[in-house]
Formats: sequence, structure tokens, C-alpha cells
Amino acid sequence: MTTIVDTDLLSDLKKFGAADVSACFSCGTCTATCPLSDNDGTFPRRMIRYAQVGMKDELLSSKELWTCYHCGLCSDSCPTEADPGEFMAAARRYAVASYDKTGLSRILYTRPVVGSIIAVAVAAFFALFMYASHGPQDTASLALFTFVPEGLIHWTGIAVMVVMVIAGIVGVVTMARGVAQHEKLTLAGTLGDRAALGRSVAALWSSLGVESVGQRRYREDCKDDNPLEPLYRRRWLIHALSIWGFLGLLGATILDWGLALTGVKETGTPIPLWYPSRLLGTIAGISLVYGVTMFMVNRVRHVNRAAAQSTASDWLLLVLLWITGASGFFIEAALYLPDAPAWGYWVFLFHVAVAMELMLLMPFTKFAHAMYRPVALFFYALAADRSKQNA
Amino acid sequence: MSEDRRIGVYICHCGGNISDYVDVEKVREAFKDDPEVVVAETTMFACADGTQHEMIRDIQEKKLDGLVVASCSPKLHQITFRGVAKRADLNPYAYTQVNVREQASWAHTDDREGATEKAIGLVRAGVAKTKLSTPLEPLVVKTLPRTMVVGGGVAGLRAAIGLADIGLAVTIVERAPTLGGWVGQLGAMFPHDTKGHDQIAHLVAEIATRPSISILTDAELVSKSGSFGNYVTEVRVHGQDELVTTEVGTIVVATGFDSYEPEAGEFGYGIEGVLTLPDFMTLVDSSDGPLTYQGKRVKTIAYVYCVGNRQPAGGNEYCSKFCCSATVHASIKVAARDSGVHQYHLHRDIRTYGKYELLYTESRERGSVYMRFPDDTPPTVARTADGHVAVTVVDALTGSEELTIPADLVVLVTGMVPRDNTGLTDLLKLPVGGDGFYNEIHPKLRPVETVVSGVMIAGACQGPKTASESVASGLAAVTQSAGILMKGFAELDPLVATVHTDACTGCAACVTTCPYDAISMIMCDGRDVATISAAVCKGCGGCAPVCTEDAIDLLGYTDAQMRASIEGLTKEPVS
Repeated sequence: MTTIVDTDLLSDLKKFGAADVSACFSCGTCTATCPLSDNDGTFPRRMIRYAQVGMKDELLSSKELWTCYHCGLCSDSCPTEADPGEFMAAARRYAVASYDKTGLSRILYTRPVVGSIIAVAVAAFFALFMYASHGPQDTASLALFTFVPEGLIHWTGIAVMVVMVIAGIVGVVTMARGVAQHEKLTLAGTLGDRAALGRSVAALWSSLGVESVGQRRYREDCKDDNPLEPLYRRRWLIHALSIWGFLGLLGATILDWGLALTGVKETGTPIPLWYPSRLLGTIAGISLVYGVTMFMVNRVRHVNRAAAQSTASDWLLLVLLWITGASGFFIEAALYLPDAPAWGYWVFLFHVAVAMELMLLMPFTKFAHAMYRPVALFFYALAADRSKQNA
Repeated sequence: MSEDRRIGVYICHCGGNISDYVDVEKVREAFKDDPEVVVAETTMFACADGTQHEMIRDIQEKKLDGLVVASCSPKLHQITFRGVAKRADLNPYAYTQVNVREQASWAHTDDREGATEKAIGLVRAGVAKTKLSTPLEPLVVKTLPRTMVVGGGVAGLRAAIGLADIGLAVTIVERAPTLGGWVGQLGAMFPHDTKGHDQIAHLVAEIATRPSISILTDAELVSKSGSFGNYVTEVRVHGQDELVTTEVGTIVVATGFDSYEPEAGEFGYGIEGVLTLPDFMTLVDSSDGPLTYQGKRVKTIAYVYCVGNRQPAGGNEYCSKFCCSATVHASIKVAARDSGVHQYHLHRDIRTYGKYELLYTESRERGSVYMRFPDDTPPTVARTADGHVAVTVVDALTGSEELTIPADLVVLVTGMVPRDNTGLTDLLKLPVGGDGFYNEIHPKLRPVETVVSGVMIAGACQGPKTASESVASGLAAVTQSAGILMKGFAELDPLVATVHTDACTGCAACVTTCPYDAISMIMCDGRDVATISAAVCKGCGGCAPVCTEDAIDLLGYTDAQMRASIEGLTKEPVS
């Protein structure tokens, strides 16, 4: 079986940010340095080689792309300054663009100006779409769901979710099939019998529970940071707080919706701060805004390898998350202010529009890593289990 | 020899190398009754400065007329002790070195008695030979201040200028109608992008300003006669019957190389779009802007390295060493003209040695991809239906999987092969190595001299070289020529064959034996006798045993000396 090389792969990857990777002469120092490199995954040398040679399918089906946390050790030790860490980041961007069949992702990554215009246009579309059906602005108390009808938000949200899920599933399935083939795994071998199913469930737990929510390896990698950052600035914590915050807000929204469905509380009813859905939302919001703010500060100050280079897509995700989180607090504030300030209504409209955009664009932006990383981590856990059995 | 000789014998311990296995005292004792051995000593290190001084003192005070040192191989110290003799005003050819280290102590470490006995025999042989030695003086020959340079490539042209600048006349003989050789056909060359034809034009212009250089193009050396420092050459120019005769002191052979011509089908050679390195370089140099081949833009190039070189035993096993750098440099030129071009270098090790390493780095920065293939899995080349040339290769850095590169052009990086110069090789009796290139005497210490005195080799005729290395060796040949010719005379080793005219019957059997054409027949007192040119003779001794009348003697190794040696060696041991 011979692989026809894709002669354009490397130049294409460079459009996604792997500027210096031609300097790599495959010495393997990066692999030797990488804290993740073990029997179950060797990188980043192999991935760079795939890119140089033009082995597109092999690159896109490498689970290792997504297990990298961009700690930067490889880039620090690279004798040719080929910046392997940044290559891995670029290859992930390229992978997101490749799994997406619409081409939108490629534009967002490789054409920052057009991408920014699209980002603004999508938010503007949602805002105008909802403003078109707006109700009166109550001046006595902030009646947000009168201004923008709750049903409209609800059904628009459902529609956005459907689009997102379809695009997401297409991407995830594309990736998972590729990785499974690369790892020589069959569906029967993964889910076929009880034992296989047990291994897969364990791998799923490792992927979603231990790694995605628990951030285990990310935490361990940060142990070696030199100098060791204070806890509140450590990369794993900032990332974990962002994840937990986002999941918390998602949970609060679902809880609120659940309470409305069960008739306990109607959406939009004023509730005290201790009320479970509100308490969760507030804490999660603080967590998200703190994490995202720190990420933005890091990028401005180039504090580490991962924050040394920023693309438009990096900023797009952070900005959307930050606006969603921060505008939520402005709405909170507006709720407490007397005389229901008019800006409260506009901030709410803005908040909803950006949140919609965030979800809609998820499979097309850097946010897509939240879908692809767990898939890779699932295969990684399976491989680790396999090599443990073979040992 | 009617008169008694006065010989000094020194037996060396070699710090134990000899004395651990040979009873050196017993060796010394063996000569106590020989009246002609005036001095017999043992010494810890014969080659030590102090010992050398003692020898000189002994020679002078005891009026020695022969010297024997029993120590190591003559290869190591014959010159040392000849020097000792010379400094003590003793004829250096009255010195004999006896090798008791390699031939006795080291060879018989398990048999002290036998080794000692053998050492005594060897020293006896040496003493016997020395007793019959006669003083010999170096032959002095006048030399002509002109050098013939065969080959007008970059090495030959630069050498010609160097020779002219130190005051020697030069005749350049070039087989082709124009000067310049390979370099003259090249565009920008590594490492500094100077154009080959510009460099040759510069050299030719320099030559034009030097009237002492004459040039014969479309010319071939057809005969060489005469002796060291005084050769008479004949050159055929433009194929004419009339030959140009030139007398020269030395000859510098700088005939260059041929590029390897792949066999049909070797790495796809013969398929459209598969080129050799010289053809590719011509293609690159013949246009500007993005590279095109037969009217089509070249987007992907695959280079297959080591074609015709580093082959398995029996083939061209050597490395041509210029081709990696030349190819990498060519790929940089292509990338500089078209940054979108894809270039794959399929190699078995990239040897851009020394400063040329920077070219390798630059080419990678310009996007060249290097793929090392295992020796036992060479790439295959085939034409595809869509008009590409597909190169299939296993990249050792990626894994064992086969990769296929759809290329527009495949360049077979062909190395150097020895040029077919049978006529010249036979004419000058140049030594040819197993690889087909000319051999020097010593790769490090005598890199441009050949065993044919006065004939030097320079440039790639000696073995693969870059242009700068060729020029360097050309200039080394200038120095060697100067060393021979600038004094106006040369001293030759007197250890040559002579004919005892009285005994010679004129059978001429020796004439055909001589590999150096040193023997000829002359008329002497009305009969044919053989005569040997001392300047041409190399002292190989090949003629002496052929002579049925024992009419030929090799000076320093005469029949009488050799017989006496054998008798000394086989004499009953003293017990």
C-alpha cells in the first residue's frame, strides 16, 4: 500500500501558523523532551515528519495532535528553532478546518480580516433577528423576556444547537474514523463484546471525566513549570476554571429550563442570589470570566510558549467567551439597579446574540477542541490500556 | 675487496621490543671474532639523538667505512641512519639497515633462542652486504624549465597560471576544441554563486596576459620520451599528421572526470522527465523565472541521490562528494526563482560537508524535504497516466510505509566516474587504482606525485573533487613542479641498474622486461649491447634476473652483495 504524498500539505499548514517547521531536521529532541511522549504516543517529531513528507491522512488521524497541551518544552529545546509546539497548534487548526466540510473554519483561521467581519456579521444577524420581534422595554423593572421574547430565544437556541450538533457530529465522526483506522481499531474490537465495552467505558471515563473535567495531565505537566507560577496563574487552573465555568453556566441554563418545564419557576422570574440555578450561574460566571481574562492577559503579555503567538481564531474564542460571561454580570447589575436602565435591555440583546454565535461557531473555531480533544483522549486511553495489556 | 673494511654494528633493544625476545648481547658476541667489525654495540634506542651522536663519533674516531644498524624496518629509519652516515662524512650507501624487530623479535615471541639465532643470521647478512658496498653518489640531471599541463579544465588552467607566475614556461594540451572543461559549462556554482563559465573566462583572460603559456586545443599527447626533467613530447593538433614537439621538465595531468551515465531503466532513466544532474544543471541555467521543462511549469522535483556511486562491492564504491552540495545548491536556485516549487531529496546520507552544510540548512528553510531511504530499498521511478513521474520511496524517518511522490521532474544525482583515457594512461604509464582514477604516491604526504617521476596528477582525474579542491591540487602540482624544475637540476637515487658491457651478449631480453623503457640497445665496439638510462631507471631490479650472463647489476644490491648476504644468513650458527 503506497501513500500518494500531498505536495501542498506543508505550505498549506504554514497558512495555519507553522511558520518555522521547515527548519526541522527530525532529530527527535522534541520527542525526548515531551512529557507526554511514551509508548502510547510519540510526538511531535512524527507529526512534523508527516507534514514535511505530505502524509495528510496520517497527520489528521494522529490522536497525538490533540493530547498535546502546548507546554512548550519541545520548542525550548529545539536545536533548529523549528517551534514544534507551535506546529502542533497549527496542525490542530488545520485539523479543525479539515474536519469541517463547509470551508467556514478555514476562512476563520487563515483570513483574519474576513473572519472578523464574519464574526461581527453573525452576532449582528442574531441581534437584528431577535430585535425584529422585540417587545416593549418596561421602565419600572427590567423585564428582559418581554423585550426579547423567551420563546424566541428558546427556539433560536434549539435551532443553533441543532446546526452545531450536526456540524460537530460530522467533524467528530470524520476524526474518530480516521484515528481508529490509524490505530488499527475496529468497531467490533471497541464495542463488540463485554470486555471491549468495558475497556471503552473506562477510556470514555478517562477522557471525559479524568482528563476533560479533571484536567489530570494538564495539572501534572504544570508541575515542571520553571519558574513555577503562583497557583492563581497556573495554566491548568486558568483552563480548568474556564471549562468549569462554561459547564456551570450550561448547567445553570439547563437547570433553569428544567425548573420552567416542571413548573417550579417560570423563566425570567426574579429570584434571590442563593437560588440553586442562580448561585451556580454566578459562581460559574465568575470562574469563566476569571479564566478567560487570565488567558487574554497571558496572550497580551506572551507569558509562555502557548501564548507567544496569537491568531485571530485564538482571540475570537476568548472574546466571545468573555463577552458572554461579562455581559451576564452587567445584566445582573442592571437587574438590581433602580428604574430598570435602558442599557440593561441592549446588553441583554448583545449577550444573547454573542452566546448564540459562540455555540453556532463552536465546530468552526478554536472552541472545536472541546469536541476533538475528548475523542483523542478516548483513543489515547484505549492505547494506554492496550500497551499495558501487551506489556 | 682486497682491503679490510672497518664496519660498525649497532644492535638496538628498541626499549624491549627487540631485547625482550632476542638476546641482543649474544647477537653482539657473534661479531667479536670478525676482524672487519671494528665496533659492535647494543643500544637501548638506536634512533635516539644521543645514540646517533655516538655513532657519528665512532665513525669519525674509529674511521669506520661501513655502518649496520640492526633495529626496525627500513621503512621507518633507513633515512634516519643514512642521515647519520652523511653527517659523519660516510657515504650514505655504506649504511645497511637490518630489520630484527619485525623479522625476528616480533615474529618469534615464543622462541627466544630461535629469534636470537635468526637475528644473528640477518645481521650477518647485512654485514656481509656492507663489506662489499661501494660509495654511490646521487645522479644529477639538468631539468628543463617548462611544464606540460594535460587538460584545460579549471585545475589545469589555474595550475598553468601558477606555473607561469613562478617563472616556468607552460604548454596546455586540451583535447576539446575549447578550454574550460566541466566548469566552463556551468552557471552559478556552490557555494558563492559565481558562474562557472565566468570563472573560466577569467582564467583564460589571465592566461592571455602570460606569454609564457602556450595553448594547444583539439590536441592530444601522442608520445613521450626522454628522461626525468627532460621529456620530449609530441602532440597531435587538429588531427594532423604533423606533430608538435615540445621539450618539458614535468607533466601535470589534469584530465578531469566523466559524469556517470545511468543504464537504461536505472531509476527510470530513459523515461521522459528523468534527467541526470548535468542535464538538470543545464536546464536550470538555461532560463530565468520559475523552472519549466518542455514548456510546462515544474511544480514538483524529486532528486534521487548517489546514482552510480556508493554502489555495492564491484561497482563504483566511492562517494563523489561534490554531488550532494551541487544538487542542494541547484535546489536553492530553483526555490529562489519559484517559492511554490516542491522539492524532495531522496538520499542515503547528505554529505554537504564543511561549510556547505549551510547550503543544506538554507535549502530546508526554502522548503526542500529530505527523505533518507534504506540502502536495501532504493526508490523506484515510473511514468503515470496523468503525465507525472511517480517516485516511490520508503522514508526511514517516517516508517516502513511506501510513499509515492507525483513529480514533474526526477533528477538522478549522478556522480563522477573516471574518464576513459587509455591512450594517455599507457603513454605516461600512470598508475590506475581499483576505482579507475589515477593514483598518487601517498594520499596525505605526496598527494599529487605519481610513481612516474616528474609526472603529477591534479584535479578529478585522481578521484572525485569539488572545483575548489581541484584547483588546490592543481596548485599543489605547481609546487611540486617548481621543486623539481626551479633549481635547474635534480638529484636522483643512485640505486639503479647498470650493464657490464663486456659481459653483455646483446640478446635484448632485458629491453622488453623494463616497465619504464629505461633500457635500449646501442652499438659498442662494433656489437649491440644494452644500456640503461640512469635517469629513467627506477631501480626495481626487474632486469637483473632476466640476464643469462649476469651482465646487469643493481647498484647497492649487486649480485656479489646478495650472494655474500645469503652466505652470511645461512652460515652455521655459532653455538
